[in-house]
Amino acid sequence: MLEFENISKEYRGWFGSRTPVRALDAFSLCVEAGEIFGFLGPNGAGKSTAIHLAMGFMRATHGSGLMLGRPFGDAATRRRVGFLAENVALYFRPAEKLVRFYGALNGMRGSYLRKRAHEVLEALGIAEEGRRNVRQFSRGMLQRIGLAQALVNDPELLILDEPTSALDPLARVAVRELLLQSRNAGKTIFLSSHLLSEVELVCDRVAVLHHGKLRRLGRTSELLQSSERSEIVARGVSANLFAGATARDGVVAFTVPAAKQRDALEQVWAMGGEIVSVNPLRRSLEQIFLQVTGAKAEGSKSPVTS
Amino acid sequence: MRTALLIAANFAREQRWPILVLLLWVLVMSGLGLAMDVRRDREDLLAMFKQLAMYGLAFAVFFGGSAIHNERKSRRILAVISKGVGRREYVFGLLIGIVFALLLYCICMGLTGTWVLGPGGFSISLLWFLMLCFLVACVLAAAVAVLFSTFMPPLFATLASAFVLGFPIAAGIVLGSAWGYLIPLYPLLHLFLKANFGMRWRPDWIPLTLAFSETVLFWLLASWIFAQRDVAVALE
Repeated sequence: MLEFENISKEYRGWFGSRTPVRALDAFSLCVEAGEIFGFLGPNGAGKSTAIHLAMGFMRATHGSGLMLGRPFGDAATRRRVGFLAENVALYFRPAEKLVRFYGALNGMRGSYLRKRAHEVLEALGIAEEGRRNVRQFSRGMLQRIGLAQALVNDPELLILDEPTSALDPLARVAVRELLLQSRNAGKTIFLSSHLLSEVELVCDRVAVLHHGKLRRLGRTSELLQSSERSEIVARGVSANLFAGATARDGVVAFTVPAAKQRDALEQVWAMGGEIVSVNPLRRSLEQIFLQVTGAKAEGSKSPVTS
Repeated sequence: MRTALLIAANFAREQRWPILVLLLWVLVMSGLGLAMDVRRDREDLLAMFKQLAMYGLAFAVFFGGSAIHNERKSRRILAVISKGVGRREYVFGLLIGIVFALLLYCICMGLTGTWVLGPGGFSISLLWFLMLCFLVACVLAAAVAVLFSTFMPPLFATLASAFVLGFPIAAGIVLGSAWGYLIPLYPLLHLFLKANFGMRWRPDWIPLTLAFSETVLFWLLASWIFAQRDVAVALE
């Protein structure tokens, strides 16, 4: 569906007027059909650069890529793609007309275009505002119009750069539902976001980008599941016997390294205790993100070193 | 083609206020012209008419020189070219939008010229041929400006366009009229500037054909350069 093959992108000034900045460094990634793919990374990691390369807004310094089986930048392929830019900027005109304009640019026309425009506005909860000029809209409303123009052509691949950044919680839930419905309808979604909780909830796979390099890639469930520690909940034992254990409502909960899980279970049984549950400890995406990117704040871009 | 027309219509819509002001200016000047004694002040009226045309030429360069930069700066270009719009189509759409604005201006000027200069004895057929020459000259100037707009900010694009369009004119005056055909703005405007009441004339299609061909070349060159350019630099 979307394939980056060893792509690098350097920003250079005219005639070497500034130090080149490498936004992407030998970046490779393959997004499969029918998945919601989360694309994470701190500011300056190169997420938007990767998206802009895929959309053909810019050209790679090295490497290449494919979108829906065609090289990046192919205009005909973009008709099958929906795109929402970060900080979406739109023309000022009535919302429904605007969505129809963007649909028409994708070759849609007539009653089908009108029907689709109305449908997406309804799905995003702004059909009643269709006649209002978007000039009067709040940032959250504009974001929804941005989503509507991305969805109007019923795209096979949806590329969203921070789609829920300006939305209130209710609208976020609506967008989340919409993404899941789209996935269930066989669409592929490439989602760049800073809202890790959102990504955790909807994405099948995630990639973490840092300083233009791919640092982590995997299924969300596998990344969140730690193979290193397990949480044991037991009844009938003293909390003092296990380091870091907490007692509540007659049960004791504690974590142990996975390698020592068996020993801990036998220890509980030896003391006459009863095991209530044993679960691999889940990490949050935030913990993974911090681990991959480093907890301390770092510069946004790495200058190219020779 | 439909996509280019949509972009053209959108451009004209976005530029509606400058276009309206331009048209209003022509109407105001023609109103003043009608208030004057056409028989007595006809030379003054013709000079005013020629002056109005020069404003149109300046607007052509202004529209062209800022067209792409403004869209990039506002980031509105992203939502447009994220659709099935090729770079060549995009530039073509902008050019058609500019042609549409200039066509309106030329029609407005032609009509008011007919009302105001016609009664003074100015040849109506010459006037409309001049309008055609003027329109083609403006479109050529706009194509040059759009070319520079693909990789320069508006001020530099306008200056570069003025230089490129002005050099053959200066060379045509100093070195000989053949130089003027390099970018045939001079031959197109020359007839316009020397036009007078009772002038004998016959249409010269060579500069028109040349200008049209060069407009196509400048469009293709602008499209090629624009296709090599990064349209968006990441916010991050």
